[in-house]
Amino acid sequence: MDQLQHQNRVTFPGLDSDQGSVRGQVERKSSMANQTVKPKIVERDEIVRVSNLGKSFGTHKVLEGINLTVRSGEVLAIIGPSGSGKSTLLRCLNQLEPQTEGIITLAGITLDAAKPASKKQLNDLRRAAGMVFQSFNLFPHLTVLQNVSLPQQRVLGRTKADADTRSRALLERVGLANKADHYPVRCSGGQQQRIAIARALALDPKIMLFDEPTSALDPELGLEVLAVMKELAEAGMTMIVVTHEMHFAETVSNRVMIMADGRVLEEGPSASVMRDPQTERAKRFLQAVRNR
Amino acid sequence: MNAETFLIILSGIPWTIAITVGAFTMGALLGIPLCAMRVSKSGILRYMATMIILILRSIPPIVWLFFLYFGIGSGYLQVGPIESSIIALGLITSANLAEIYRGALKSIHVGQWEASHALNMPRWSIFKDIMVPQLVRVILPSATSYMIGLLKDSAIASTVGVTEVAFQANFVSRRQFQGLEVFAVAGLFYILISLPIAAIARYTDGVMRAKVAR
Ligand SMILES: Nc1ncnc2c1ncn2[C@@H]1O[C@H](COP(=O)(O)OP(=O)(O)OP(=O)(O)O)[C@@H](O)[C@H]1O
Ligand SMILES: [Mg+2]
Repeated sequence: MDQLQHQNRVTFPGLDSDQGSVRGQVERKSSMANQTVKPKIVERDEIVRVSNLGKSFGTHKVLEGINLTVRSGEVLAIIGPSGSGKSTLLRCLNQLEPQTEGIITLAGITLDAAKPASKKQLNDLRRAAGMVFQSFNLFPHLTVLQNVSLPQQRVLGRTKADADTRSRALLERVGLANKADHYPVRCSGGQQQRIAIARALALDPKIMLFDEPTSALDPELGLEVLAVMKELAEAGMTMIVVTHEMHFAETVSNRVMIMADGRVLEEGPSASVMRDPQTERAKRFLQAVRNR
Repeated sequence: MNAETFLIILSGIPWTIAITVGAFTMGALLGIPLCAMRVSKSGILRYMATMIILILRSIPPIVWLFFLYFGIGSGYLQVGPIESSIIALGLITSANLAEIYRGALKSIHVGQWEASHALNMPRWSIFKDIMVPQLVRVILPSATSYMIGLLKDSAIASTVGVTEVAFQANFVSRRQFQGLEVFAVAGLFYILISLPIAAIARYTDGVMRAKVAR
């Protein structure tokens, strides 16, 4: 799987240039022509570590005892039945929902449920994590270009000219250069989601969080979004993707985590988890989604 | 109907406009903290705001006006007829606009806040760049139609002696014993003043709709 992913690495303007050096690099060991090239990933820093995470809304316990690590350059797919807490876990990672138990470390920022996060911590955390929502959440009163440019100006203090140049490059990359001056409503759902991805990437995140990015889309439009995400993964972006797209989980992600009832059911390399789940519950879930 | 009659009624227009604009401005400003209280996290503040809004809206404008002018104005403070009229209508307007603001806030999809926070936008920018422009779009149509209603309500100022359009019309009709024409002219003036308000509202709304077309 790694082979597939890291062979054709495309450049993705807007990605942190120094990320490339940290990110898993392919070390080609063999030079024998008839031997298969066997890449090995080296130097993969941990970028997310979640320890014993719990989340309750009032007395309703939604997440319990979640442990998780994601290394730089990895793509983790989170799957599981509706209501299992996938979105809540993702939202805890950038503190849209503060966890009620446990510790999250993301890009070097450590947040403990026991003590409230400082403003600086929240800022650093959210700067490091870009998020893409199921419902796109573009700003309807701003043009596509402004949607991508404004956060760069307000968050990173880039000049308008600088931000616009970067935005155009990113829009080009997601195939929407011609939409720059349109308003979001004039764009299809698939286009809107690609714009949302560009908007998040424009802030040079270290990790991208996707919450069912294609669930609100027709299958065809979903494909164009998945293509962009695949390209992003190939460019080495660290990603956590909550998804119902089993094909994506199987082929693009390195690892898969199956959740149910607020807990981690299984977690491991995507091929083994998807093809050979160990628990009954996971087997049933995969069976059910495959038969859909 | 002679030119003099016409001019007398015409001379009421500045006061009609002054009271309408004054009360609307006062209400638009006071409505902001009132709305903030109404949606605040504190239960006490929310309750207080709900009560204030309820009281302001349940009592007829003319009762508020008499209360201010004859009640407070005659006993404790010197409140002139114009001030009383602006304050009475302004208070009621603040309650109504606070509710209009609140409705607009609710109409903004929660995803807009979440996206802004996830993007780590600073507070002031979320307010100024993201929320206010969207709020204005929702508020504008209801606020302008409220303003047209307020224009008509400003006629109650005639009861405390403000020489606005209704007062002047009443004055000349008594003097000349010709109510029909006089009040028809007064009515026409109200229509003429409200037309530009409606036109501006429709124009700006149209421009914004064309852009965003939600
Ligand atoms: N703000 C909230 N207040 C109370 N309960 C909540 C809140 N957000 C989520 N929940 C509850 O937490 C549980 C997990 O929700 P969550 O949205 O994380 O599930 P999910 O796995 O993302 O489901 P789906 O696949 O339907 O998106 C659900 O029972 C939900 O009702
Ligand atoms: Mg969800």
